[in-house]
Amino acid sequence: MSTYGDAAEDSTFVRTYTLTRGRTEPRHLLGLDTVLDLGPGRPGPGQAEECEEILALCREHRRSVTELAGRLGRPITAAKILVSDLLDAHALVVSVTDAYAAADTDADERPTTHLLAALSVALKRKFPDAIPYRQAG
Amino acid sequence: MPSPTARPGDPAVGLRTSSHSHAGAPTVLKIVIAGGFGAGKTTAVGAVSEITPLSTEEYLTEASADVDSLEGVEAKQTTTVAFDFGRLSLPDAPKPLELFLFGTPGQDRFVDLWYDLSRGAVGAVVLVDTRRLENSFTPVSFFEDIGLPFVVAVNHFDGAHLYHPDQVRAALDLPASVPVVTDVPTGWAAGARATSWDARNPNHVAGVLLTLVGYAVEHASEGPVHPASTTTLQDA
Ligand SMILES: Nc1nc2c(ncn2[C@@H]2O[C@H](COP(=O)(O)OP(=O)(O)OP(=O)(O)O)[C@@H](O)[C@H]2O)c(=O)[nH]1
Ligand SMILES: [Mg+2]
Repeated sequence: MSTYGDAAEDSTFVRTYTLTRGRTEPRHLLGLDTVLDLGPGRPGPGQAEECEEILALCREHRRSVTELAGRLGRPITAAKILVSDLLDAHALVVSVTDAYAAADTDADERPTTHLLAALSVALKRKFPDAIPYRQAG
Repeated sequence: MPSPTARPGDPAVGLRTSSHSHAGAPTVLKIVIAGGFGAGKTTAVGAVSEITPLSTEEYLTEASADVDSLEGVEAKQTTTVAFDFGRLSLPDAPKPLELFLFGTPGQDRFVDLWYDLSRGAVGAVVLVDTRRLENSFTPVSFFEDIGLPFVVAVNHFDGAHLYHPDQVRAALDLPASVPVVTDVPTGWAAGARATSWDARNPNHVAGVLLTLVGYAVEHASEGPVHPASTTTLQDA
């Protein structure tokens, strides 16, 4: 990687470090696809500006960790750390609508055939002109 | 494919006020779109996503190859990986769904990210640029290894040679069951000519997603895990 690239990466690191007040690990176990809803609480004083941004985004529409990071223009880890703070303040709650809650067993995380069938119907409705490929063999 | 009973009364929204009224909230499903550099990942995500694809960065910490480093402390090296996020809501499905699309680069140093993205996913689409076929080897063997259903979609870039699906299948050493999409019929009319699959075309991308979902259902019925739900689907 070029010197310029390294420098750019270093400065992102510094900004992230400042944003999270030196923390490098989120307190909560959050996935890239964990979805956040607005909660009843309010964050305490002295939160990063980005926390207000996160709350404003989630007020409009529930958002995944990845979407929040993308919209803030911050690395995933930074977003997870801020989201953890907001979860602690009950300003956010984890949306309990993931597919895996509906899975048959805990061990199997794959969506059920029931959900897959629903997805197929939904995609066909949304894209009536889409043609699924038919396997020749 | 048979569809579960529709529940027309289900609200698609209604998450705003209370943290406990989630009954009608959409279920989230995710699909991974993988491929080598410039294979069309961002384009494919954007073709069907309701939001402009978001580019997101994550730091990955790699244990250094230098295992014998001083003090026995494993030297760590940090790399940045950028991946795409897109989503589409499917409120009038038999049950309200939201589909997350993750576009992820194909280098093997990113497998930690792939594990995260693949957990609980419907499956993966591997985008192939036939001019750089070797860039697809890593994602293909990764998804094979973890047993995630995947399909291959071949992007036809201008000037690239047109390959038959079987040629692509052979080159990537794919099992006969894995769908390989190289072209799509232009319409239902008799004698309609096929056109090359194109990541810029929402209908083409949606067609590949449908192919994947169908394949994932078959895959589930072949696998040892879900004999009961297979029966349910076939009987429905
Ligand atoms: N002809 C043709 N061009 C395409 C197709 N898909 C993408 N492109 C073009 O190829 C270029 C690269 O596409 P991207 O979607 O940025 O590819 P990517 O995989 O996200 O690339 P990186 O993120 O840089 O690895 C863009 O200029 C697209 O417009 C396709 O199906 N056919
Ligand atoms: Mg891209």
